[in-house]
Amino acid sequence: MYRLIISHETRSLARTGALWAILALLVFAIGFAAFAGGRAIARQAKGAADAVAFENGERAKMRQDTEAYAAEVAASGGTYEFATVNHVPGRGPPQGTNAGVVGAETAAYVALPPTGLAALSIGQSDVQLNYLPASMGTTLDMIKNLETENPVNLQTGPFDIAFVVIFLLPIFILAMTYDLLSSEKERGTLAMILAHPVSLRELMASKIVARAAVILAVVVGFGLLALLSVGTQLDQTETWVRFALWIVATLLYSLFWFSLAVLVNVYGRSSATNGTILAGIWLILVVVVPTLVSLVATTLYPAPSRMDLIVAAREAQTAGEKNMGSALDRFYSEHMDQVPTGDQRAMDFLTLAQANAANIEKALLPLYEQFREQSLHQEGLVQRFQYLSPAIMMQLALNEISGTSTARYQDFLDQAFRFRSQWNDFFASRFLKREPLRPEDYDQFPTFSYVPEPLTTVLGRLATSLAGLLLVCAGVTLLPFVGLRRYQVAAR
Amino acid sequence: MIATIARKEFLEIVRDGRFKWTAALMVLLLVTSLLAGWQRFNSYSQIQATAQGSTNTQWLKQGDKNPHSAAHYGNYAFKPLGPLAFFDSGIVNYAGTAVFMEAHKQNFPIARPATDTSAVARFGELNGAMILQVLLPLLIIFLGFTAFSGERETGTLRQLMSMGVSRGSLLWGKAAGIAAAVLLVVLPCLAVGALALAATGLQTVGGGIGTRVALIGGAYLGYAAVFLFLTLAVSAWAKTARAALMALVGFWAFTAFIMPKTAAEVSRLVEPSPAFGTFMAEMKEHQKRGIDGISPRIRLAEYRGELFRKYGVSRVQDLPVYWTAVSMQKLEELDHPVFEQHYNAVRDEYARQLRLQDRLGVLAPLLPLRSISMTLAGTDLIQHNKFMAETEVFRRNMVLKMNTYLSQAAADLNGVNSATNYMIANEDVFAIVPPFRYEPPALRDVIASQAGNFTLLAGWLLAAILLALVAVKRMSLERN
Repeated sequence: MYRLIISHETRSLARTGALWAILALLVFAIGFAAFAGGRAIARQAKGAADAVAFENGERAKMRQDTEAYAAEVAASGGTYEFATVNHVPGRGPPQGTNAGVVGAETAAYVALPPTGLAALSIGQSDVQLNYLPASMGTTLDMIKNLETENPVNLQTGPFDIAFVVIFLLPIFILAMTYDLLSSEKERGTLAMILAHPVSLRELMASKIVARAAVILAVVVGFGLLALLSVGTQLDQTETWVRFALWIVATLLYSLFWFSLAVLVNVYGRSSATNGTILAGIWLILVVVVPTLVSLVATTLYPAPSRMDLIVAAREAQTAGEKNMGSALDRFYSEHMDQVPTGDQRAMDFLTLAQANAANIEKALLPLYEQFREQSLHQEGLVQRFQYLSPAIMMQLALNEISGTSTARYQDFLDQAFRFRSQWNDFFASRFLKREPLRPEDYDQFPTFSYVPEPLTTVLGRLATSLAGLLLVCAGVTLLPFVGLRRYQVAAR
Repeated sequence: MIATIARKEFLEIVRDGRFKWTAALMVLLLVTSLLAGWQRFNSYSQIQATAQGSTNTQWLKQGDKNPHSAAHYGNYAFKPLGPLAFFDSGIVNYAGTAVFMEAHKQNFPIARPATDTSAVARFGELNGAMILQVLLPLLIIFLGFTAFSGERETGTLRQLMSMGVSRGSLLWGKAAGIAAAVLLVVLPCLAVGALALAATGLQTVGGGIGTRVALIGGAYLGYAAVFLFLTLAVSAWAKTARAALMALVGFWAFTAFIMPKTAAEVSRLVEPSPAFGTFMAEMKEHQKRGIDGISPRIRLAEYRGELFRKYGVSRVQDLPVYWTAVSMQKLEELDHPVFEQHYNAVRDEYARQLRLQDRLGVLAPLLPLRSISMTLAGTDLIQHNKFMAETEVFRRNMVLKMNTYLSQAAADLNGVNSATNYMIANEDVFAIVPPFRYEPPALRDVIASQAGNFTLLAGWLLAAILLALVAVKRMSLERN
């Protein structure tokens, strides 16, 4: 009996023109989103590669100079010396022998590598910069830049697969299920069917199975297509674990909308009313609640203004400068190129500039920490409020799964800051000891290698969102079975 | 006759229980968002004004130093909000709010509020504009989709016709009735908005508040009317009320959610803009090789030759101007065309992207309305670009003033030994740079920039009315 009803349901679904239209739209949207997401990630990757190539090029030129100088020294039998800071080309050791110059005037770009699923959910990766210049100077210099992007497009938000899943997939599901029972009742066929040896529950179960199969096929099938078209690192287990999580989250989310439609049907109103109610719930959960939560979070815990941070940073800079000896020292520390050749004090200016940067850093880090703390408060509030809407839980979950979440970026920042101080120490110590950089030293420069977060950490953060989704789903799924007992079969 | 129909339609809607719920929700959201917008607007404006005041003082009180060092220290420009930002925050959260203006470098705006908010903010900001752009059309659809289809299903449509009511007056009457119900919800909220405006309007930039409000109001009314007549058209044309609702909600979702994002992606495809790393690498390479392929170093040597000829001297120490200062100014000026080419290219790409999105407004009336709203609120891309352009003008003037001062005041230091080879200046010298003041674009230009969008919106309105007239003319009176 089940099989008969299921096959009948599948066939009748397949003959609904509107469903095919929506499915076509969904397919088109997924294709477009995959294409757009792939392009966005490729653009970021090119930006990172270009920045790295430029800085490496600068250092390669410096290295070439030192090689030529080393050859010259070897030929003439002189000693390999340290260059004072001077940008005017001339005779003597090249600037590349001076660790202070190399460390301060070139930057090592550190990059947050995208996960294999990055193109599926752009998340916050378009407003932050995923590659940061590590150089001598201060930590704040490192994070002042932003990814360049048209603010109009940022405000609109990306058309990525996460958007299709969160906004459009529910519409498809609701269109398929909003008149699950009500249409049969309105046509009068429900009473006829139930006159046969089949219970209402069996009928419901068959109808649900038929539709669930369609949704499962859509979610898994198109998810896989999207991954294969724009996913990367397909040879790594982690990518597939993340993809499995993606599918689980999407299925839970689909199940929620599906069960909601069934629940509304069980209360036995007309198809038009069911449609209106479900559309209203969609609007509230997907549009109204997320924007309200965001409003509340930013009102209760407004991020301290970056403008204030800028003013404070300048305050610290001015104070540092005033403690820095003579105005001449200050001038030369900014304009090493103006120091006359042979002026031994030129070295001191760089030392002083270093000391100044260190002072600014010391004054600013506590401020920056405050800043981050407030952001974490806000994030915490959103984490608690996410249970108000499956759409929020889903967005947070998909960002987490795709590696475009705020938390992963913060972890990257910590690693980047550590690398910057490593870079700083490497060059500062050699510079302060007046140790000349030799060509082979260029191979010893610190290199950044991103340490991926353990998957368990990711799972831990993901757990809250997924557990919330699961809970909401369970609630909405179980209720219909209770309500079904009182279902009025015949139209009144 | 029209008045009678309108009255009946209005009463029927208002007495419906669903109306009370949706109206209550709308009022709640609209009032909340306007108040939150007002609070945010005040707090931002306060911080912005304080920060600008502080950095201006810091510039003057930076301590005695070489004028060129002062130009390195530079100053910041903080972007003030447009006059109606509490209603439509536009791109404020996604465009930078501060620009560092320093010697040798043009900089992108930094301090983008969106980087410090949770990912949930990407669902959109709940503000007055968002509610009127996204939720108001839905309210209109819910109130109006049964206007004809419902009467046809209950059989009253044929009855009505038998009484000699013309189809045209039926359409206008129903439109007036629904419009009255919608205004009943929206107008009190807008009164709250007007109060908020009265409380903030005085301290804002941009001026012409009355004109701005009138034009924004007109645009939103037109937008609402588009949805009203489309709803009536579909209601008359659809076979059942259910089909009418499905079609209308589908169009709504298309115009409110799918089209803006699609338009943004399409515009990115047609007019790609470089990522930060690509931009910087290309620009720095260009700086090094010189705008026309002749390196700044060679240009500088040529310039020294020119100066020698001009003053009839053959050594730097004989120049009547301080060579260090004029050479730094020369290098600065050699960079100007490079900056212009690269930064303007990005700026123009953004503007072209937006224009393309506006034009895609032929498919979704939300797009032209969004631009009109942002622009008149003073929170749009055009004004952001003008802000960026003005910071660059300020920067160049600041650097020029400092270098010029140094070139004359230190002329006797040419070639002198290093220990005395510097001059220091004080606050009085720094004060020759007037403080940064942002001059928003003239209201006339702001309005002119939106002429195309107003035309597009008017076109939509005309098309919707025509569609409704045709649909009502051809409407069948019975279910079939």
